[in-house]
Amino acid sequence: MPRLTTGLLRHARSIDPLLTLLLRPCRDISSAQNELRWLREHAIKLEQNVNTRARVSGWRVLLRRLVAERARGKPLQYVMGSEYFGELEIACRPGVLIPRQETAASITCLADRLSRAKTLPSELRVLDLCTGTGCIPLLFQYQFWKTYQDEVSLHLLGVDVSSIAIQLANYNLRRLLKERQWQLQNRKMHGRSVQDLWGNKKLKSEVAAFQNTAFLLADVLVDPLSMTDHDPMPLKPAMQFTNKPPFWDVLISNPPYISPAAFNHTTARSVRAFEPKIALVPPSELDTPDVEQGDKFYPRLLTIADEVKVQLCLFEVADLNQAIRVARMVRDSSSWDGVEIWRDYPELANEHEEDRLHDGFEVIGQGNGRSVVCWRGRGAEWLSRANDVRSDRRRSSRIGA
Amino acid sequence: MRGAPWICRPCLIRALRPLSRRHARFQSNAAANPESISPALLSRAHALAAEHSQLAQKLANGFDARAAKKLGEISAVANALKEWEKANESLTELRTLIRDPSTDDELRSLASDDVASSAEQLDQAAQALTTSLVPKHPFASLPCLIEIRPGAGGSEAAIFAGDLLRMYQAYCSRIGLRTALLKYENADGLPESDSPLSEAVLEIESEGAYGTFRCEAGVHRVQRVPATETKGRTHTSAASVLVLPSFPSEGSGEMEDFDNPESDYYIDPKEVRTDIMRARGAGGQHVNTTDSAVRLTHLPTNTVVSIQDSRSQPKNREKAWQLLRSRIAQARREKREEEMVAMRRSVVGVAKMGRGDKVRTYNWGQQRVTDHRSGLTVHDLTDVMGGGHTLEKVMESVRTWLIERDIEAVIAGDEINGDK
Ligand SMILES: C[S@@+](CC[C@H](N)C(=O)[O-])C[C@H]1O[C@@H](n2cnc3c(N)ncnc32)[C@H](O)[C@@H]1O
Repeated sequence: MPRLTTGLLRHARSIDPLLTLLLRPCRDISSAQNELRWLREHAIKLEQNVNTRARVSGWRVLLRRLVAERARGKPLQYVMGSEYFGELEIACRPGVLIPRQETAASITCLADRLSRAKTLPSELRVLDLCTGTGCIPLLFQYQFWKTYQDEVSLHLLGVDVSSIAIQLANYNLRRLLKERQWQLQNRKMHGRSVQDLWGNKKLKSEVAAFQNTAFLLADVLVDPLSMTDHDPMPLKPAMQFTNKPPFWDVLISNPPYISPAAFNHTTARSVRAFEPKIALVPPSELDTPDVEQGDKFYPRLLTIADEVKVQLCLFEVADLNQAIRVARMVRDSSSWDGVEIWRDYPELANEHEEDRLHDGFEVIGQGNGRSVVCWRGRGAEWLSRANDVRSDRRRSSRIGA
Repeated sequence: MRGAPWICRPCLIRALRPLSRRHARFQSNAAANPESISPALLSRAHALAAEHSQLAQKLANGFDARAAKKLGEISAVANALKEWEKANESLTELRTLIRDPSTDDELRSLASDDVASSAEQLDQAAQALTTSLVPKHPFASLPCLIEIRPGAGGSEAAIFAGDLLRMYQAYCSRIGLRTALLKYENADGLPESDSPLSEAVLEIESEGAYGTFRCEAGVHRVQRVPATETKGRTHTSAASVLVLPSFPSEGSGEMEDFDNPESDYYIDPKEVRTDIMRARGAGGQHVNTTDSAVRLTHLPTNTVVSIQDSRSQPKNREKAWQLLRSRIAQARREKREEEMVAMRRSVVGVAKMGRGDKVRTYNWGQQRVTDHRSGLTVHDLTDVMGGGHTLEKVMESVRTWLIERDIEAVIAGDEINGDK
């Protein structure tokens, strides 16, 4: 971490004393300036908001309070109560993990690919395990309707073990649904252009998808056979209990993936101090090597994938090493047709051609190794894009081929 | 069809009216003088009209999409020329008639009476013909981006840049144009409206905004006593205004040429490097960064845009692409225009509307605004800065001036071609 020089601090103070405070969590002047601008806009908005006005004593006072909170290391997203996940603003609260930009980039890419698929089932069911704020299903459908032209009925289910997460996910769902319904109503009175019609179709599809979105409190890690009176319920009985369909098409998960050692050494202080550990580190077990502890969710996720018969999976991982370990699990299970690794920004061209293959797995995009994507049956079709130059290369990464 | 043959019905009816006093004036002033339209423009019109009838013939023999398109483009010129010729002919005949000693008095008075309206008609026809010949700016119907940056003059220039931004914002809100602030950077990173500005990009989303604001490009100069000046001295500083046509973002489907490598606003995505301010180290769950900045570099021209306005990275990326596309298209167009200007070197007064030229002065002491291109000076400085009607007047004067330059350029271009 770069040290804050006195020169830098003096420079910040000459601009605005509040900036000096923000330098502590931000470390550089330009991100401190951005944060100050966002916080200021937020404070002004709070002052103008009729619902909060009574509690607010002028935005300047409020701003100072917000900056002070931020200076103590509290993540900006908790201070402001939201984070952008792709283009969607998602509500955030302490106790639930803040959605990450890298996750949004992978989900955007996945939804874009599916929305360009030539054939999709008339009802497409997407399961998101370890959903947190619910950001993944919400962004998936938003992004999907951006390009998808035909009729398809999207069904989404987000699952989490934490009840505050489920509450927040439901809140996000309700808020977005209301917003869309309101936009739809307002639009009806205006224009008739092609864009308007297209916009209306997208909004209607989104509303329908939101109405088919649910969040479920359940534990994905426990084996339903070994535990009987576990609270919350294991996934399978919880799904049965709430009449959810037994079979799904796509499985997405950003599970806790940080090993206990990595948690202590590589996570940022504000992550350790403010975000829930249960969202980051799998439950610890004695006598298990550290690395294995970090990987704990993936075998279980692959088992569930088989049980609910999905044809396409995307799992977020910590880095390229973990990606390769998970890709190996996929290969060894021999129930998949293919697997590849996506970096942080999978839609960007690889920086080096020789970077495309690691341990026999194809790696695409730029940034850190971020997700493992595997498919079988029609999942391969759903993933491919029109005039995909990589399609023959992808075949080469097929297992056993 | 308003073409008036000289011995029309109204003339006959008016034959009984007393002789007009205005006779002499019109005879000397508004006769069918060949200068009412330049010979060069006229010969260009003739050439186009000839092409028009050729194309019409071709189309009669079978459909040809390209010919049909071209025909549509030049039929306005052909029609305007026909009107003009008719008006010109009728005025000439009237004059001949008046001069002819053998014309009897009654007929002469009848003719003189008609000269006024015929001259007016000719004038209108000449104007219509001129406008039909001047090429419409290809981007005039697009929305636009206005980029404002302080120039020479330190923090006073930065304050003035902020004043200009608010002037345009006020103007737009007054006449009902939709705007969005794409980028706003203060010298000190604060959105305080009175703090100095280091760069702003204002998008005017309404159609045709480029046509309206194209006249604002250039260096705007301010002369006033800065707030920080203790000795009461007047300072001169400046801010530069860049006006770019704004192309709709991908997917809106308005521009079918978007993926056409021939068009100005085509950018090969492979030639653009995207830098996203990635989290240091591991990323993902390990950090909760708020960095959402996106930087695009167009490698062949080394054009760099970076946007960090929004907390949403994809939004920043979209804005960055929009800005990059507009800058590249503008650069390409400027380059083409420069080549044209070089070709028309013989012409004086074809001013390039680019970054470099001082176009307008705002003088606080005298409360005046002078535009150096149209030469118009107005005195209601406050109304100008408030985006009021006076600003409209100044902009209008520049647009008229621009049309005149365009005409000169067209004529000059034809003269050059004619020489070859
Ligand atoms: C890394 S967070 C991901 C949140 C969200 N999907 C995102 O991308 O921002 C992991 C989530 O898994 C949940 N979780 C932890 N253990 C779980 C378990 N055994 N069963 C289900 N969810 C669990 C946590 O509550 C947390 O919300």
